Amino acid sequence: MRIHTYEKLWLAGSFVLIVGFIVTVTYGSVGLGIDMIGEEADGVSPDEISSDERFSEPRVEQVGENEYEVYVVAMTFIFQPDPIEVPANSEVTFYVTSRDVIHGFEVPGTNINSMAIPGQVAELTVEFDEPGTYGVICNEYCGPQHHTMEGSLVVTPEWEFSQTELEVDAPESVAQGDEIDLTATVSNGLLETHESTVNVTIGSQTTEQSITVDGESSENVSVTVDSDELGPGEHDWTVSVDDQEESGTITVGNETDTTESVPASVGTETVSVTMNPADPTRASRGVGYP
Amino acid sequence: MTRLFVDEYPGQARLVRAAFLNSFVALAIGATFGLIQAFHRTDIYRFLPSPDYYTVLTGHGVFLVISFVIFFLVGLFHWAITDSLGQRPSRAWLSWGWYGLMSLGTLIIAASILGGFMEEPPEVLGAPLSADVLFTFYAPLQANPLFYLGLIVFFAGTWLAGADWFRTWLTWKGEHPGKRIPLPAFMVLTTMIMWYLGSIGVIVSLVAFLVPWSFEVIPGVNPLLTRTLFWFFGHMVVYFWVLPAYLLWYNVLPTLSGGRLFSDPLARVVFILFVLLSTPVGIHHQYMDPGIAEGFKFVAMTNTMFLLLPSLLTAFTVVASMEHGARQRGGAGTFGWIRALPWKDPAFTGMALAGAVFAFGGFTGIVNAGMNINYLVHNTLWIPGHIHTQVGTATALSLMAGSYWLVPQLTGNRLVGRRIALFQVVTWFLGIVFMTNAMYRSGLFGVPRRTAEPQYSFEYDVGIGSMGELNAQIALGGTLLFVATVLFLGVMLLTVLNRDSEPLVDGTIPPALSGPEDSPRILDNLKLWAAIAIVLLVLAYALPLASVIQGGGLHGQDIRPYPVVLVDAVQHAGTILGVPIH
Repeated sequence: MRIHTYEKLWLAGSFVLIVGFIVTVTYGSVGLGIDMIGEEADGVSPDEISSDERFSEPRVEQVGENEYEVYVVAMTFIFQPDPIEVPANSEVTFYVTSRDVIHGFEVPGTNINSMAIPGQVAELTVEFDEPGTYGVICNEYCGPQHHTMEGSLVVTPEWEFSQTELEVDAPESVAQGDEIDLTATVSNGLLETHESTVNVTIGSQTTEQSITVDGESSENVSVTVDSDELGPGEHDWTVSVDDQEESGTITVGNETDTTESVPASVGTETVSVTMNPADPTRASRGVGYP
Repeated sequence: MTRLFVDEYPGQARLVRAAFLNSFVALAIGATFGLIQAFHRTDIYRFLPSPDYYTVLTGHGVFLVISFVIFFLVGLFHWAITDSLGQRPSRAWLSWGWYGLMSLGTLIIAASILGGFMEEPPEVLGAPLSADVLFTFYAPLQANPLFYLGLIVFFAGTWLAGADWFRTWLTWKGEHPGKRIPLPAFMVLTTMIMWYLGSIGVIVSLVAFLVPWSFEVIPGVNPLLTRTLFWFFGHMVVYFWVLPAYLLWYNVLPTLSGGRLFSDPLARVVFILFVLLSTPVGIHHQYMDPGIAEGFKFVAMTNTMFLLLPSLLTAFTVVASMEHGARQRGGAGTFGWIRALPWKDPAFTGMALAGAVFAFGGFTGIVNAGMNINYLVHNTLWIPGHIHTQVGTATALSLMAGSYWLVPQLTGNRLVGRRIALFQVVTWFLGIVFMTNAMYRSGLFGVPRRTAEPQYSFEYDVGIGSMGELNAQIALGGTLLFVATVLFLGVMLLTVLNRDSEPLVDGTIPPALSGPEDSPRILDNLKLWAAIAIVLLVLAYALPLASVIQGGGLHGQDIRPYPVVLVDAVQHAGTILGVPIH
């Protein structure tokens, strides 16, 4: 076959270019470790999502030091969980599936990008170096309200990141003169020990208590108040720890004949706080820690 | 002395004109939809509710890349095979038969899509008449069965068209033993081999899965399987769209430049490479898909990179042919010859600008093909940017430019408004530069494609420039493209009406500088290339398809259809899932 000399040179140059491109992509895979979404994760059919241990409760879960897994379910026209909260300086593996049609899972401004295909589970691992707030969008047409399908991804500073759950056990009403026992159960979903402060307000009385909760366990904080100090009527209470807050109302019965009323004194000394050992059976609201 | 196709083959000219008419009607509708989208997406002017945007988007995709491009293609190929072989098709009913099937298919598809605009679409075949599933119709999004049936009828028409041209060639071969296949005919036949092999994927998806599923004969589909079968077809089809432009660049552009094709052998090699490589690369559209192993993606990536070769060879041959032409016209100097090209000829200028845009777009395609870089651009506006430089300009602008040269030969009428035509091709070029520049840039910071409202509660990190400026460029570009379309259609209409005139063009295509005698005869062995292509296809697709079927089953697992009807669609989605829609 007759080929012009210049064309032979062009052909040779083209080959070099093509091989060069393949080398750069290969370097990206092998050298930089940019893996492609593959078939590593087992699939899950949409009907099994509710009973699947990975996806029945879409969540963020710590699996190692600075290592997290996020189980995401996409469906018309939302993402779960929303927002997705992870700490900075962490390695996060996303597992993404769909409950209905084909969706996309994209975090604009990053290279997090995957298809969410019903029946399949996409697995992709990313590193978050800096704190920041991102949008999460569906980038594959999924139906008439596709453009509203949006979530958010919050990368918090490491020291602010917690996975604290709070449950409060408080009576709804007590007789005048009885003691009010309020118990806050603080669960720590992280693997590491977590230190925090529990703030309790009952009526006009406030107290705070430092606690240390071991990884994947819970601690109780009990607060005892003499109802006489609050007086008869309804009293609001609030318990907060980290980003969690619980509140309610206690009614103190108006039984004046039981005891003499004592003027309410102000000050923490009238509020007794006791620390109880952890009672795992009470961590009923801790979600799905294995 | 001018030689006119319409004088030599009046019957064939009629068929080509009919195909072009369908093509141009589709162009008019598709371009109007494109204008609506450019303003809706950017939130500059919205007069439709956003759910209707997806009806518009489905129409824009289907009417332009299926109807406009493929009707033009069959017209052009029918001209090329008849003209280059000097042979009429043996059966007129066969030719009009494929034309009829393709037209019928298009009408059925159009009805199913346009039904989506109605307040309450009528029930047809047990489902509302609506098909807001976009050009890719990914299951479990479900269209009215008519949409899938229309596609099957349309595909049947294209297969029949190929059969018609192969018959014509076989007749010619019998009468001309030992002769090399003329280049335009060679290109038609190889392109059709590519089409036969590549369209098997989507035809299997339609016939074996989507149609029975839409009639509830089978319980469900495996969404990854139908998606993979679509992309089996989906990358081949982009070459199917581009190859008519190649046919014009190789055969017509050198003549328009005032010269001859540089190398006929290399042109044949290019088309053979497309037959071999354009289908076993489809998985590069699925780099982000779970359920397909990384190894298969890597194979698709290397195949895709080698697919650059025919395009790089084309760049050389076409530019060399143009330079040869320019030097024949008195051009001189290393680059000075460029000034000697016939820039006042709209047919030449349109094709040359289309080629330049194609070269740029080719490099953006390498970004898409670059597996791990694809994370950055997948399903962002970068991708439609790429599509609009390639099929939206390399193909569309070449076809329009080609019409300025070919339509006078098909009608016997002189082209009306040569200067308007010149203005038209330049307007298209400017429009695409503005629009795709903004699309590419938006895609890089994550603006998604295929959405009515890419405005979310977060702010994009635009970097240089602003969203306002990018949106303005998209709207301006879209407007220029629409104006260019109207001008083109106006020039075509006036030319068809311009009966009392003689065309100025000469349809004679001079032989190549390096002719077919410089290449081995094996290049013309179409059976051999088809056989190798089948082997490559099996190698590239057997294992991935087996793994997809093994993973998700032939008919999927409990995956429910999601009929896309926009009337009360929100409530509908709510009942399917049992969850409130926010």
